[in-house]
Formats: sequence, structure tokens, C-alpha cells
Amino acid sequence: MKQSYKMVFVGEPGAGKTTCIAALSDIKPVTTDVGCTDELAMIKETTTVALDYGELDLGDQGRLLLYGLPGQSRFRFMFDVVRAGLLGVVILVDAASSHALDGLAETLETYADELRHLPCVLALNKHPDPPDTFKQQCQDLLRKHKLVTPILAVDARKRADVIRVFELLFVLLEYGSDGAPRQEAPAWL
Amino acid sequence: MAVKAPDRARCIQALDDLVKRCDGVNAAMLALRDGRPYAERSGGRVEPGKFAAMASSLLALGSSVLRELSAGTLDHVLVEGGAGKLVVANVPGSHGLLILAVLASHDARLGLVLGQAKTCALEVAAAFPPNGE
Repeated sequence: MKQSYKMVFVGEPGAGKTTCIAALSDIKPVTTDVGCTDELAMIKETTTVALDYGELDLGDQGRLLLYGLPGQSRFRFMFDVVRAGLLGVVILVDAASSHALDGLAETLETYADELRHLPCVLALNKHPDPPDTFKQQCQDLLRKHKLVTPILAVDARKRADVIRVFELLFVLLEYGSDGAPRQEAPAWL
Repeated sequence: MAVKAPDRARCIQALDDLVKRCDGVNAAMLALRDGRPYAERSGGRVEPGKFAAMASSLLALGSSVLRELSAGTLDHVLVEGGAGKLVVANVPGSHGLLILAVLASHDARLGLVLGQAKTCALEVAAAFPPNGE
């Protein structure tokens, strides 16, 4: 059986999590979108309320299981649902949005406690070349939450970009583990 | 078509009636489909924001699972634990806008809870103005 790796996307509503999984998944993705009923309806029709799920075949490297969580902090409990066996977390940011830093600040406020114990990458989406000042502001927000995380620009709809993120998470897992307890899988799996 | 707002007082009355009519019901909530509280009767037993978000997640997951398994449209989600039962259902006639979540104690009679939850959902549905009004 192919080795599976579980990766979760977090980030503000509209960062591109659902689009990313829909674009990359080799299977029909599982979605839990509903119509927005708040001010979010002005920028997007639907929002995820439980999770998105997709799978990406990596050939000899195995299989990547992609989970996307809702962007609103009220769904924080969904992280506990997907936590077991996580390889790492991708914080997705809509780098083209004027509210990108506010969105990132809320995401970090919600998930920082988890992110300190897991490999994570900050992925700047929807902008081909985010300005250095913006990257520095992201870095400052990460530091505020005592997080040390690589930052890279991605097109989250592109397979090669997401595989690059996966490989980076893998390196972080191998060399950057903080020794926090992890839930081990039974040996027969 | 934009959904007109329901009569909020009637919605709250429907929740009150449910809690009164059905022994063992500890909390009843109407949540918006994207996980925000609309009205609740819980006597402080649950945190409304989290309860609403969890109810919408459960309902969406239940719908997705049934869709994936070609098992039809969702009627309700039932979660039973050692210390309680949770029923989550769409409110018919609300154009998918409202969700009803009912938390009952472990010794509450399941049939009664399900039946009363359905009755409550219909009462809430009746609180929406008819089309065109």
C-alpha cells in the first residue's frame, strides 16, 4: 500500500483553500460549502463549514491527503478532527487582498498553539511576486506568535507548487521536530 | 430569490415549546447554515457560538457523506454518546438558511426527541413569510 501523507490547509476565508484542493485532487473532492449569510457574501458566494478533502498521487513518493479547514475562527474545533497523523500545516494567504494581513493575524491567533508543534509553511497565494515589505510584515506576525516558518509564493492551483510545499514540510518534519508527542500509527499499518 | 426573515419571536417560541414539551432536552438552537447562532434556549449549558458552528459542520458533513454514498438527501444527523444525544436537522421551508440542533440527556427517549425536533422545525418553518410577502 502506498504511503499516505496528511496535509492541512488553514487560512482566512477566500485564501484559496477550496480552489486549491479542487484543482489538485485526483479524486472528486469532498466539499462542505454552504451559502454565506454574513458580510462575506459580498466577496464570495459560498464558504466551507466543515472541511474539504482531496487526494494527490505523488507516484513513487506516495499519496498526499489534502484537507482544507474553514477560514472562520468559530470552526477552530475542526482542527481537532483532522489532527491525528498530520504531516504539517499550510497557512494559505491571499497575498493580493488588501486585508491579507488582518486575515493572517486572525488565522495565527486561532491556530498558533497548534502551529508551534507541527511543521508549517506560510504560502502566499494569488500573487506572482509578493513585495518584500509584505513578506516582512508576514514574518513580523509570525514572530509575534513565536513561529519560525518558511514563507514562499505559490499558485495553490498548481501541482508543482503544492508538491514543493509538501517537500518543504517533509524537510521540516525531519530536521525541525520539536519533540512534541505525536500519535503513532500501529505497526501493522 | 432572497429569503425573507422569519418572525424571530415565533422561532424562539418554537424552541421554548420544544424544551417544555420534551423531557430531557437540555438545549435547543437555531443556527444559520454557515455556523452562526440565530436563537437558542440552553440555560447557559452550551456556548452558543461553538454549538452553532459544530451543528453546521455536522450537517454539512452528513450531507456530503450521503452524497458520496448516493444515499439521498439528509433528513437529520443523530449523535449519541454516554451522557447525551444530539439531533441536528435542516429547517424545512427556510431555503436551507436555518438549522435546528437539539441536545438531550442520555436518558431522554430518542423517538420523542426526534419527533419533537421535527415538530419544532415545522413550527420554525411556519415563522417564515409565505413567498411574495
